[in-house]
Amino acid sequence: MNRLTSRGLIAGLAASALALGLVGCSPAPAPAPTDSAAPTTAAPEQVTLRFWHNATAEPLKGIWDKASRDFEASHPGVTIESTGYQNEELQRTLIPQALQAGGDAAPDVFMVWPGGEVRAQAEAGYLKDLTAPAADTIAKFGGVAKPWEVDGKQYALPFTFGITGIWYNKDLFTQAGIASTPKTLTELADAVTKLKAIDVAPIAVGAKDKWPAGHWWYQFALNTCSVQTLQTAIPALNFDDPCWIEAGTKLQEWMATEPFQEGFLATSAQQGADSSAGMVANGKAAMEFMGAWNSGQIGSLTPDGKVPAFLGWFPFPSIPGTAGDPTITMGGGDGFGVYKDAPDVAVEFAQYLVSDEVQAAFAAAGSGIPANPAAASSLTDENLKAIAAGLAGSSYVQLWLDSALGPEFGNPLNDAIVNLMGGKGTPEDIVKALKDTAAKL
Amino acid sequence: MAHTTPAGPAVSAGPAPAGRSKRRAGTGRRWLEIAVFAGPALIVFVTFVIVPVILAAVYSFFNWNGLTPLERFIGFDNYIEAFNDPDFLQAIGNNFTIVIASILIQGPLAIAAALLLNRKLRGRAFIRAAIFVPYVLAEVIAGLSWNLLLSPNGFVNALLEMVGLEEWAQPWLANPDIALWVMFWILTWKYLGFAILIMLAGLQGVPEELHEAAAIDGAGWWKAQWYVTLPLLGPTIRIWVFLSIIGSLQLFDMVWVTTRGGPLNATNTMAVYMIVNGQTRPGYGSAIAVILFLISLTVALVYQRLAMRRDLGGAITRGVR
Amino acid sequence: MAATTTAAPAVAKRRINWSSPLIYAVAYLVVVVSVVPVLYVWLNGFRSNADINANPAGWPNPWYFQNYLTVLGSDRFWGSLASSIIVAVGTTLGVAVLGIMAAFVIAKYDFRGRQGLYAVFAAGLMFPLTVASLPLNLLIRNLGLHGSFLGVIIPQIAFALPTTIIILVPFLRAIPDELEEAAAIDGASRIGFFWRILLPLSMPGLITVGVLAFIGSWNAYLLPLLIMAAGGMPQNLWTLPLGVTQFATQYSQDTGAVLAYTSLAMLPALLFFIAAEKRIVGGLTGAVKG
Repeated sequence: MNRLTSRGLIAGLAASALALGLVGCSPAPAPAPTDSAAPTTAAPEQVTLRFWHNATAEPLKGIWDKASRDFEASHPGVTIESTGYQNEELQRTLIPQALQAGGDAAPDVFMVWPGGEVRAQAEAGYLKDLTAPAADTIAKFGGVAKPWEVDGKQYALPFTFGITGIWYNKDLFTQAGIASTPKTLTELADAVTKLKAIDVAPIAVGAKDKWPAGHWWYQFALNTCSVQTLQTAIPALNFDDPCWIEAGTKLQEWMATEPFQEGFLATSAQQGADSSAGMVANGKAAMEFMGAWNSGQIGSLTPDGKVPAFLGWFPFPSIPGTAGDPTITMGGGDGFGVYKDAPDVAVEFAQYLVSDEVQAAFAAAGSGIPANPAAASSLTDENLKAIAAGLAGSSYVQLWLDSALGPEFGNPLNDAIVNLMGGKGTPEDIVKALKDTAAKL
Repeated sequence: MAHTTPAGPAVSAGPAPAGRSKRRAGTGRRWLEIAVFAGPALIVFVTFVIVPVILAAVYSFFNWNGLTPLERFIGFDNYIEAFNDPDFLQAIGNNFTIVIASILIQGPLAIAAALLLNRKLRGRAFIRAAIFVPYVLAEVIAGLSWNLLLSPNGFVNALLEMVGLEEWAQPWLANPDIALWVMFWILTWKYLGFAILIMLAGLQGVPEELHEAAAIDGAGWWKAQWYVTLPLLGPTIRIWVFLSIIGSLQLFDMVWVTTRGGPLNATNTMAVYMIVNGQTRPGYGSAIAVILFLISLTVALVYQRLAMRRDLGGAITRGVR
Repeated sequence: MAATTTAAPAVAKRRINWSSPLIYAVAYLVVVVSVVPVLYVWLNGFRSNADINANPAGWPNPWYFQNYLTVLGSDRFWGSLASSIIVAVGTTLGVAVLGIMAAFVIAKYDFRGRQGLYAVFAAGLMFPLTVASLPLNLLIRNLGLHGSFLGVIIPQIAFALPTTIIILVPFLRAIPDELEEAAAIDGASRIGFFWRILLPLSMPGLITVGVLAFIGSWNAYLLPLLIMAAGGMPQNLWTLPLGVTQFATQYSQDTGAVLAYTSLAMLPALLFFIAAEKRIVGGLTGAVKG
């Protein structure tokens, strides 16, 4: 059973099942020749590109749709089917299954996560090498494109990259008598106490979705581990350094201050008024530790669909008693990759999606931090400008650990973190989850 | 899919049909008829159910992330890993808790409700229709609704405050100590209608004269039900128990849309665990699927041996006489 | 359950007189518990978001119709509705036709492998669709059915077959063999018997399996997600459960509209089931009674 492809296996079994069709009464649809070259190359004037992203709500959905229409207009014969799917369904179910099926089933241009995620898809051979065709774009983007590089080859082009920080409600801070944004964890703890006194949830976290809780531990690990440890431990998947356990200990101490909303274990991150973003949007929670997209997310959850005026942003405070450097930040982003058998025009489209024009619209809409440096000036949102400045001032940006480590790590790692936050696990359990997963690869 | 399958634990198709099939002319023609009639269903079933399940079983022996070709054969490692994962063991425990609670709580409730609904009652049609509403509702919709109702700022807590029970108010689905029971409540709400449906169908087979006879003897209505109707309902109850066990073991949809198995795995089930882990490790997820199948099959066979022996070859497979 | 003797009504009446209020109380308590969550969804569809957020347990005040009007005025609701109907009707017809044919053979023919055939279908009960979703998805893509209505309908038929056959077999077996003898004497072939006698007689069973398949299809989520949503069908043609979640994601700030969409999405299956409920009970009787 060496190098058995699942597709071959299916074809065999399906054929034998169909062979059971004793007479002509079987529905017998002939197996499609999926291995043949994409038929689109035969007729270059009529091409349909399938474009999968995670924008289900405005304004981002409109930006991708408009970019698709504009590209169609400038490329006669090209039709683009732009579809937005729920983020986790897209990355964990739809894309892997479509890639595995291959052929026409696979999307031509689709969202690709950085780090270990893009590595897994690239190593399996599903992504087109964009190093040569998109050389100009890559050179222009510089370091921000690096997380989508695997073994020196570029496999996706980022459209957003930002650092994770704390989103907060300025009005509630004033009301609680918090004079300035917290610079240290101790000050953050003070703010939590003051916010509890005015009867709002100090910090919202969407622990039902697991990764938002995970980000808290990642941030603590960033502070307890040195850059050198991070840079060597992650590629080597070696978690022996005591700093990994210390991160959990610090998080445990932090949990003792009860900073999160009641019932945070069952709160989702983004859907509806009861989600963590929704709680910030409607003033029920004062803070949320979240990525750069949160401005747009919170905006979509307000009654008028606009980013509320009270929304502010500050970088995660430094943690006393750790080696961490405050200019070491955590972040990540999203990129667009191209399927290996997609027509060449798909590469053009992916490049268009990160072009100055589309990126400027992206920045102006306040959906996040554009990856294209030329679009940075189009940012109007004050918070996003602050994030861009924070990104620019970072001495080292660590990719979110679940992305950096790769798809197999997300579940066990984030599960162990949520367990610790829920009082059911220990700092050692988190490191054990990491080591166990690494051992299984 | 859980709980929605009204069917019998049938390993037996019943006794061979009596009659003339044997003396019908031409075995060739007979086989042709069998093939023409059963062939299409068999082909569709084998192609779209059996083949994928066999493939899942094959995947379960590989270390596979769903992207690469299947090439890292690891024998039973996935299975060993599953039984060493406390989260999976907890999920199995949750499944069996739900199995037992369903039988002990939903069963009697359903029987009582069916007995009530089977008698003359003003507005019976309305009551029946209302009770089946949750069963007909899509899981997606039911989950969405219960999340709204049970959220910290939701309807249930607001209602408790209104009647002065605010100390009872709490984030129902976020408390790991009670979440499984809150989940069980939602499941009961959702699937009790189906249990009542089965019981009502069973009651149609109980001759009315028996009630009347009991009534004439002066037995009270409940007494008559206890001594006369209930024993006759035996086969129906045993079938419902079987379906309830299979449904509880394979429970997925309602949990997935409501809690995703959280908080802290308190409502995790085998099927939810399978999906969560199978997303990035389909090989491992497939091993869970096989374990789930084997547990279901074992329980089904044991149950049939113990509880349904006297129904075997009869009851559900013989049909009404 | 009407008693026909003269003595019985008197006795029964006396019993009901004292227990009756209690019985009604219990019955209506069950009704309230069943219906309140659904009523909550329907009623809150008639409230503005400000109203809902201010008082989650309140009554619509004032009644606000815009949510329902918005949903009813959107193409995607009607598209999803049409799509759900196509898939559900296709599944129902397919299950009924394939199911009754296979059940006929199992119930009325005596041949080697009959028990085995039955066991193969019955084992299907142990396979929830989720178990095999990945290989099933790959298979459907390889057969070229991806992103089509048939790609959803045919696997749904396959997964509904175990239930169908297990309900129909006892139903068909209950049809007396004498009828077949009589038909044979009249010169009807086995096939003729199937068409002219067996099929009409098995209508109640067919209605039962049909309704169950219809509702299963109407509520299905995973398969439409994998085959339609990921298969490149336009969003306007995704079935209603997908539409509900997509709508809930897209308008998640708009609780009222989400609830209105949800209410409307559940209505057709509900009405259909209520209309057929009596027949379902009748059709199930054969399957659950010895």
